[in-house]
This record gives sequence, structure tokens and C-alpha cells, in this order.
Amino acid sequence: MKNVFISPYRFYFVFLAILLTFCTLGGRLLHLQVWQSDKYTNLASNARKNFIHEEARRGDIVDRKGSLLATTRSVVVLGVDPHSFKEKDSKKLKQLAVLLDLESEKVEESVRRKFIHSGNGVTAMKPIRWVKLKDEVDDSTYRKILKLGIDGVYGNYKHSRLYPNQNFASHVLGYLNKEGKACMGIELMADYYLRGQDGWRESERDGRRREMPQFRSVEFDAREGLSVELSIDRVVQERVEQEVSRIMDEFSPVSVSIIVSEPRTGEILAMANGPSFDPNLFNDVPLENHRNRCLTDLYEPGSTFKIIPVGAALNEKILRTDDIIDCSVSTYQKGKKRLRLPKDHHPLGKISLHQVVQKSSNRGAAQVGLRLGPERLYSYCRAFGFGERTNLGLLGERKGTLHKPSNWDGLTITRLPMGHAVSVTPMQVHGSMCAVANGGIMMRPSLIRRVFDEESKTVIPFKPRAVRRVIDEQVADELSEMLVSVVGPEGTARSAMIQGYQVAGKTGTTQKIIDGKYSNTHHVASFSGFFPADNPRAVITVVVDEPKMKKGRLGYGGSVAGPSFKNIASRLITYLGIQPRPKELSLIREQKLGL
Amino acid sequence: MIGLVMLFSAGAVRGAQDLLVKQVVWVLISLAVGGYVSFVDLDWLRNRTYIIFALCLLGLVLTLVPGIGVKVNGAQRWIGLGSLRVQPSEFAKIGLVLLLAKYFADKQREIGSFVQGFFIPSLIIGSVCVLILLQPDFGTCFLCGAVGATLLFQAGVGLRWLLPVAGFAVAAFSILVYFDPVRIRRVTSFLDVEANANDSAYQLWQGMLAFGVGGIEGVGLGMGRQQMYFLPEAHTDFIFPVIGEELGLLTTISILLTFLLLFFSVGLKLRQVSRMHEYLLAMGALLFVVLQAIINIGVVTGCLPTKGMSLPFISYGGSNLVVTFVFVGLVINVMRKKDNPSPIQAREL
Repeated sequence: MKNVFISPYRFYFVFLAILLTFCTLGGRLLHLQVWQSDKYTNLASNARKNFIHEEARRGDIVDRKGSLLATTRSVVVLGVDPHSFKEKDSKKLKQLAVLLDLESEKVEESVRRKFIHSGNGVTAMKPIRWVKLKDEVDDSTYRKILKLGIDGVYGNYKHSRLYPNQNFASHVLGYLNKEGKACMGIELMADYYLRGQDGWRESERDGRRREMPQFRSVEFDAREGLSVELSIDRVVQERVEQEVSRIMDEFSPVSVSIIVSEPRTGEILAMANGPSFDPNLFNDVPLENHRNRCLTDLYEPGSTFKIIPVGAALNEKILRTDDIIDCSVSTYQKGKKRLRLPKDHHPLGKISLHQVVQKSSNRGAAQVGLRLGPERLYSYCRAFGFGERTNLGLLGERKGTLHKPSNWDGLTITRLPMGHAVSVTPMQVHGSMCAVANGGIMMRPSLIRRVFDEESKTVIPFKPRAVRRVIDEQVADELSEMLVSVVGPEGTARSAMIQGYQVAGKTGTTQKIIDGKYSNTHHVASFSGFFPADNPRAVITVVVDEPKMKKGRLGYGGSVAGPSFKNIASRLITYLGIQPRPKELSLIREQKLGL
Repeated sequence: MIGLVMLFSAGAVRGAQDLLVKQVVWVLISLAVGGYVSFVDLDWLRNRTYIIFALCLLGLVLTLVPGIGVKVNGAQRWIGLGSLRVQPSEFAKIGLVLLLAKYFADKQREIGSFVQGFFIPSLIIGSVCVLILLQPDFGTCFLCGAVGATLLFQAGVGLRWLLPVAGFAVAAFSILVYFDPVRIRRVTSFLDVEANANDSAYQLWQGMLAFGVGGIEGVGLGMGRQQMYFLPEAHTDFIFPVIGEELGLLTTISILLTFLLLFFSVGLKLRQVSRMHEYLLAMGALLFVVLQAIINIGVVTGCLPTKGMSLPFISYGGSNLVVTFVFVGLVINVMRKKDNPSPIQAREL
């Protein structure tokens, strides 16, 4: 039976329309779930992919006695979710502001502002779910804040590098920049050991960006970084830094560099520069203060360089310590050419090679150089480590300039032996003095003694390494005897004398080249020496760039750098327990030297 | 059943058991109401049409009264009755169907005239639509308009009036949408889903992703991830994408076919109904259920601009479920009647 009041045309039209609609929807479903399936699956899994990065704790840096020089602490980045914040807690905001040391208006504003304009349209407001209140909140403050129980106020832990001793050994330690990247010093050099292995977790997250642990696919725990033990000794370093600041105060030079090391092992006990900086606040000082000038700054070494030609001449058996050199001649006949010899400050006449060193005769040194000849002089310069990096490993070390004999001009052979026409770093001069102190064997300078793990177990030991033999042991002894006389009543470094100890050393006073000429007012005063001379325990090099002297006096190496050597050495004597030489022995030696 | 199972999964992050228990209670209530409606005397109902319609209108008006109407998400759609919230627009659907059915049954002879055959029924539909529009609830308004127009069309109202008015209605609707910033953004973002994926079309985009992830076989019941806060309305309006993700194309197509089958099997039989009133009643009820399903699926698959519209039988929500079952009850009632025609009673002359 069919009703009669509905026209079949209208009745079936509706059914057709509905059928078509359903077909459309079915087609759409097919499109979405079959053809577009891969595309959407990719998009969705990308949106869900949750990669949680877990920062590894960076290892510590300690000195040779284990005191902490750089460490990593956990700090809290504190913030608030304005939407979770409840009005009932608004009274506690003042307390929060006090704990955070912030203005309470600022905290109030962070809590109240709940939306941010996302750009297009009137209704384009995005909720703010996190406002940072403070970057580095320490753990105890954070616990107090949690005790307040304000809803929506919470923090995330992060690592922060701390240098507890501020300026202490900053040039050696270096620092991490704001991104946590190692920038210089040991931080950069040993970054591979210190940084550890960051961990990560791969899982999925839900629409609120929270991790869904049930879908975690990869879990890799962070491995804590290893710690590094330096050869630096805190006590020595402290004394050295006192000395640096004393020189900075007294002479207000452009810069000061002091290096102290053990000659037998090459381990550096202290390395300091002025001006210095606090690695915690590395941004607050000019960038040039960051420079580890012991390695980066070049100067003409001057008289400290004289040990090289003299050592070479002794080693090549061209001269002996008591051979006489005529320092009254002003020219030297070499083949057809007459070379003008450099002047001495005081006319010295005919003196022995020993006295050339003791009195620091320029003319004498030039003649030693001439007897050696360019090739040999050059090769000994190389052997003593000039013109190449010491490979200490810190960033920015420079090679200096040591020209090959083929590039020398006519005067170089007479000027190089007195430390002109060559540029060096304080570290290179220090290295050459170490070789003399170590019986002629050059050790590779080192800052790191070992790398160890959390349980203080050594992972990688750094053993002392010899680089090469530079001069014979006997020659080294002869040379050090000469250097002892420098630090004697007749020498140029009387200021470095220590009662009861034999100190060997060489001063250097270099005129700086200003406007293409050697200046009479701008000097680099330096001293490099070791003690006790017969059993060297420490080599100390002090370089002072442009000391400003009172009443127009000259900043000689002996008067500016020498006292620093003495001050540091005195501290080492008590600290390392270095025994004074029996008086008889020193007397015997004095007689032998004919003093 | 599918509805309950899916709800349990979709609502997983929102206290599934709580939702499930609530919905079971609603299903029981709905079944009871639907069952009652399927046995109610249609002539008795016919005589009370005006009262019911008036109550529905009153309800719609009340939602607009501040203090009584409850505002949620910027739309005033609910009346608060203590802890319970009722959505009068849902019940207005019943009223509309009842009134239109009675009206056309009474005025079968005047169907050709402009005033009685077209103007007055349009007025009835219009009044309901406008009141719902004021809430504003564009989806339900559109649904009521569409069902009303289809009933007019079926009842035999002249096309010369129907077509221009339909055109006018579409134009007016467009203008209203155009000047409503929320709606226009929904429409424009619907046209470019990917570009607006993080913004106004976020929900739609996530829904489409869910379908894509599901593929043909789905990822498995309870394994879907899109409801994990990616889809804000996973248990109500956007339950279909969750089904699509977890159970795949096979199930979504089955659901689509079920609705189609429901419409065809019941609809085609309705042709045999002997009385105009009962026919229109059942047809209106059926259209409401099926069109709502069409709109919902259209929206979540990105075929139609986003509207708040739940999927009949499946989405979470009390009012809609009750009304859906009332419609089912009505259809069953009419079908029963068709199989057992009431004896022709002698009327008083």
C-alpha cells in the first residue's frame, strides 16, 4: 500500500539527495583514511614525537691537591604558569618576590598577564603557560619557594657552571659561555672529557605537550662528565696571582705574565696574567682581559735569549766558559763585510764567556752568534722551542716569529743572540729555561695530570713527556753555573737573590718597537730563572710589559721582574720544603768559580 | 554499544569511567523515554502539539534570559535546572516536527495556497530557527531549517515559493556568518585547514590527522593518541575521528552505511504509511537523526565548516541522546501503527 499524498518525485528526490551526500562522505573518508593516510600519519607522528634532552653534568676541574677550581651545580629556572595560578595565593606573591629578590610589581604582572596576541585577528589570543621569573635560583631558595605552595609556580633544574674562586687561574680554566659552550682554557681543551654524554628520551607527547611514558621508545641516560686534575697548585697559584696584582698596582704595566713549573716533569704549577677576569662574569670585562698572555702575547725576549747562543756554543764546543771575548771592539770582520756590533750599556772590555752571561753583554752575545754561524744558531733556536708552539693545548697559543737564515738580513746574526729580531711568548722563554734546568732535556709543558671519574678513579693519566735533548747535561750544568752568577752580587739580577739558596736566572730588558724604532721609554722587563741551581725544583718566568717607572727610571728586568721571582720562590721554599744548601758547599762553589 | 565503547576510549583522559557511568545512565533514561514514546497514542500527541511546541518556544526564550540561561563557550544554549543543564534547542526539534506534521495533516487541502501552504509553516520554522540563532547555535539552526524545508518539500509546498526562500535563507545565513568573527574564521579556516592547523582549524586538523593515522584497519582500540588532548572534544563532537583512528576505515564506513541503511530501510517503508500526520512525523524524526549524522561527519572530515554538532547515538551528551531516542521512538511508533492500522472509527457527524 502506498500513500497518495506524497508525490513520488518529491519522495525519491530526498532519498537521492541523501544517498549522494552519504556517497560524498564515504568518498571523503576513503580519501582521508586510504590515500592521505601516509601523509597524515607522518604529520601526526611528527607532532607527537617527543625528544627530551637530558643534559649531562659537566665534570669538575681541580688542582693537583684536589681543591675545586670549577664545578657544576644544579640551579632552578623558576617560572609561573599564569593559568594555574589561583587568586587565593595572591598574598604570597610578596613573599615570593622577596625570596627571588625581585620587585613584587614585576611578579604580579607576570602572574596577571594570561594571554598574548598571536598576531592575526581580534580573537587571536594565545594563552601564556609559562613566564620565567628568574634564571638561576639555588636549591635552598627553590625549596623555600615550594614551601609557600603557590599553584603554578614551579621551576626546572638546569646545570650552571661555577668558578668558586672567581679570578683564580681564570686564564687557565677558561669559561663556558651563556650557551654552555666551552670558550677557552682547560674548559675548551678538556671539553671532550668534561662535557660527558648527554642523554635523551624519545617518546610521544599528548596535546598538552606532556610526555606519555607508555610510548617511550628510546631511553639513554646521561653520563656525567669526567673531572680533570690540573698540575696547577692552588697555593702556588695564589702567591703568583698576588705577585701579579702587586706588579699591576706598583708599575701599572700593560700586562704581566708569570709562569711557574716543575722542570723535571714540565708540569705547570701556576700560570697567571694581569689583567685578569672572573670567569663567572666573563662578559663584564674587555675581551682582551680573557687573553692568556703567557701564550698569546709576543715580545722580543731580549737578554733572556742569550742562553741560547751561549748554550749552543758550549754544546758545539766552539767556546768554553772561560774563553775570553773582546767586548771593546765595535765591528766584526766577516769575510769582506764589516758588521757593526751592538753596544753595551757599560763598556766591558775583554771578558770571559761566563761574564758575558753574567753582565749580559750584547756585544759578547753577538760575537758568540757570529762564531756559531746562522745555520747552527737557527737550529739551536728551534731546538730550544722558538718559532713553534709549546703545545700546551690551550687555545690561542702563538708560534712567534723566528725567521729562517735565508730570510735574515745582514744584521740578524748579531742581533738575534741578544734576543732581537725574534718574537716569542713568555711560555717559550719559560720552556727554554726549563730545558736548561732539566739538564738539557726539554719536557713538554703540561697542565693536566689526570682525568678521573666520579669515584676519583683515574681514567686517563697524563705522564710527563720529554720532547728532545737540546744540550748535553754537562753543558746545561755549565750554563746554569753562569746563570747562578747572574743572580749574584756581580750579576744583573741581584734582586732575585735568596739567602742560602743558589738561584739561576737571566734578566731581560727589551726596548719595544714604537713607530718603527726601539723606544727608550717602553720596555718589556722579564726574568726567567730556577732554583736551587744544582737540583732545580721550580722554574719561574716573569714578564712585565711596559712597567711605568717613577722619576723616569728604566724598567729593567732585574728591578721589576726579579723581586717577583724572589717573592714566589720564598713561598715555594716554605711550601715545598726546599732545603737550603749547606753553606760549605756554596763556599766551595764560589771558590771554584773564582769569585 | 559502539557509542559506549568508543566513549570509554575517547574519554580515557577525562575520567573514562565517570563519563561511561553517566552515559549509561543517560542511555537507560533515553531507552525508557524512547520506549514510552513508541507506545504513546499518536492522536493524543497530536492533540497536545500546540502545548508542547509552546513549551519548546518558552524554553528557547528562557535560554536567552540572563540568569536562567547558562552561557558556555560564548553561547547561551542551556537552562540551568539545579545541577542539571538542559538544552532546549534539542527539544525544540521535537516540537518542530510535531507541529509541522500536525499542521500539514490538518491543512492538506490548503497546501497550494501561499499563506496557509507556505507562509505559516515557514513562519513556524523561522521562529524556531531565529530563536536558536540568537543563542547562537548555527549548527542546530541550520539543521532545523534543513529538516523543516525538506518536510515542506515533501508535504508538497510549491517550488515557486520554496526555492526563492531557500535561496534567501542561504543568503541571510551567509551574511550572518560573515559578520560573526568566530564563524567567519571557522569558515575561512575550513577552506584552508593546513594553514590554520595551529589556530582556528586546530580541532578539525587534528581530526583529519586522526583519520589518516587510523588508515584502513585502525591502530587498535584504546591505542589512539589523538584524544590525548590533541582533540579537545574527543568524546563529544569529535568522537568520529577517534573511531576512525582506533578502528579504521572499515568501522567508519560501517557507521556511515548504518545511517544510510537506517534511512533507506525505514524511509522507504514510510511510503506505506497511510496517514499524513504520521508520515511527516516519522520522516521529520528520521531526517533529524540522519541529517545530524551527515553534518557531524561532514564537519569532522572537513567537508563542512566547523559547527558544534554531536553524532547521534555515539557522542557523549544527555539531551541529544534523549531526543534522538524520542525520534526513534516516534519512528517505531509510526511503523507499528503502519503494520497494525487502527480500525476506522466512526466519527460523529
